[in-house]
Amino acid sequence: MDPERRALWLLATPFLFGVVLLVAGPALLTLVMSAFEWDLVSEARFVGAANFRELLGDDVFRISLRNSLWYVAVSVPLKLLGALGLALLLHRRTRARGLARASVVLPAAIPDAAWALVWLWILNPLTGPLNLALQALGLPTPAWLTQPGAARWSVVLIGLLQLGEGFLIALAARQGVPGHLHETAEAAGAGPWARFVRVTLPLMAPALLLVVCRDAVASFQATFAPALLVTGGGPPPHATTFLPLFVYQNAFEYLRYGYAAAATVVMIVVSASIVWLMIRTVDRWRGGLVEQIR
Amino acid sequence: MRLVAAGLSLLLLGAACSGAGGDVTVLVAGDPFELAAYRDVVEASGLPVRLIEVTDRDQLIARLSTSIAAGDPPDLFLLNYRYQARFLATGAVAPMQQFLDRSAVLAEGDFFPQVLEAFREGGALTCLPQNAASLVVYYNEEIFAAAGVPIPTGDWTWDEMVGRAQLLTQDRDGDGIVDVHGLGVEPEVIRIAPLVWSAGSELVDREDAPTSFALANEEAVRAVQAFLDLRARFGVVPTDEEAASQDLESRFLSGHLAMLIESRKVVPALRTIDAFGWDVAPLPPIGEPANVLHSDAYCLASASDRKQAAFRFVEFALGPEGQRILAEAGRIVPVRPDVAASEAFLGGEPASSEVFLDQLAWTRPLPRVAAWPEIEDAANALIEEAFYDPTGGSEAAELVLALMSQTQALFARGA
Repeated sequence: MDPERRALWLLATPFLFGVVLLVAGPALLTLVMSAFEWDLVSEARFVGAANFRELLGDDVFRISLRNSLWYVAVSVPLKLLGALGLALLLHRRTRARGLARASVVLPAAIPDAAWALVWLWILNPLTGPLNLALQALGLPTPAWLTQPGAARWSVVLIGLLQLGEGFLIALAARQGVPGHLHETAEAAGAGPWARFVRVTLPLMAPALLLVVCRDAVASFQATFAPALLVTGGGPPPHATTFLPLFVYQNAFEYLRYGYAAAATVVMIVVSASIVWLMIRTVDRWRGGLVEQIR
Repeated sequence: MRLVAAGLSLLLLGAACSGAGGDVTVLVAGDPFELAAYRDVVEASGLPVRLIEVTDRDQLIARLSTSIAAGDPPDLFLLNYRYQARFLATGAVAPMQQFLDRSAVLAEGDFFPQVLEAFREGGALTCLPQNAASLVVYYNEEIFAAAGVPIPTGDWTWDEMVGRAQLLTQDRDGDGIVDVHGLGVEPEVIRIAPLVWSAGSELVDREDAPTSFALANEEAVRAVQAFLDLRARFGVVPTDEEAASQDLESRFLSGHLAMLIESRKVVPALRTIDAFGWDVAPLPPIGEPANVLHSDAYCLASASDRKQAAFRFVEFALGPEGQRILAEAGRIVPVRPDVAASEAFLGGEPASSEVFLDQLAWTRPLPRVAAWPEIEDAANALIEEAFYDPTGGSEAAELVLALMSQTQALFARGA
């Protein structure tokens, strides 16, 4: 092995060790555990695919999966638009841009539990500042915590402002777009929109794809703290019970670790499918764009 | 599966409860008042005991199960009887009976017998209870006096309570928003149970090995309807928005709730009230008197290698001194008649603490099945949905059918 390759392996070793210990190992254990009925207290009992069959007939699981897919479908595009829009707005050298960028990043640095508790106050239906502000503006005041639809949107709202990581990636990508390409396009008569669609967006696409994939995976987990601490999985019937809360309740409250593991396996498969679908869609879009330019 | 167990144990090690040196470890859950009282008991015992504190039931169950899986459970844990079945069924608990039989400090005669029964399996005591609470009605004396409504008496009925709650539900400034609600009660199965028993029905089909809720009868439907009517028909309890905005305990503390149906656990917080006087009254019956047991017990982990030392702490905590400390803190209704009859319990607020003791004669436990936490969560979600139904059209018969059908599979799994 040449020295450069050896150095690369050496540098990657701690990370690989961490991945095996903290990701691959637990994932493998989860897969094995999904074939058992186990409460951690008594002997585990092999049940084969029974946990997966039970999931198929479990109304609460179906609702949780539907809620999670809805959350990904709504939250990921909104967060991408937010990150992209803010990156385009704040990439220029303007006064107070540092403060503005820090303000965008800051919510993502706040621990999830603390962030959720702040929103528990903000969303208080009667005394929360959000509804008081809406009331002052003469706008409707949703029952954020007690009306199923509003409660689901409140979870989206809580996650929406935590777009700091996506923003940083988008900002770096925007700053990496060479200025002369815009100048050339402008000289060729391209307007701002055409320059954005034909120059900026294709060059930012790989970074944005990374943001989308990361958000799609993270969104499955991001609902946990708000659902547990703000809405409690309700209002009934299970309006904000998302997959992570379903897994948590079955494992840690009902001691059905095998069943929760099966639900986790489904969650991993669904996440992977969504990411695969996104990569394929973007690849096709970029391929089509290259063909057009040729 | 051993490989999985070993791997999981490794992962859970960080969350496990590991004893420091030779200290006896005791896992307890509670609010800050309750945890402070447990610390006082440990300190007064002078024994080498280390408390492992969590804030609620769910955390306690999670911590307990993971620490058992990691092979390092706490020596003792304090758990409500409703959640003990799974741990008992799997042999994770070492029965207390043999220790009690050999004890020179504690004897069965030291406890209220009806409370001990909730912790007996096959004639032997599995765990030893530390409290003997039930539901009562807390009331704000100033709100009653200002409205000219007579305070509750020992023989009042459910209908009389609802009538007073109607008189006490007030929009004082005429802005269309209720400022004071007459009554506060959580829409939960543990609140409905005594009403069902009081009406003459059973809650489940078989007391020893339940397979279903047993609510498909006229008496149970009448009881459930009376409960739903509190919101839908009479509007004496806060709406779901109001309840989400401020929990019932805070609402009572701030003087915006005339009556609150709760167990003994709120007393330490209520003792911080300076602005008004308050007291307790019995839970009024809809038919025959009935109440539901709220009791936590010390359980000894089978895997503990300090069982004798752990039991010495139990002897102190459930002895006259340990019970006195907890009684004075206000948190518990002592499980020892001698302490319950003492100033330590009867001397502080509420003035009518003897009400808790009077209730014991007709207090019953809820079923003890392994899947009870799940059954209770599923039932509570249905009850909450019906209770706060914005159309006000929820019928008890529909709720009863939903409760029975949607928990059937859970009973089957957990029996």
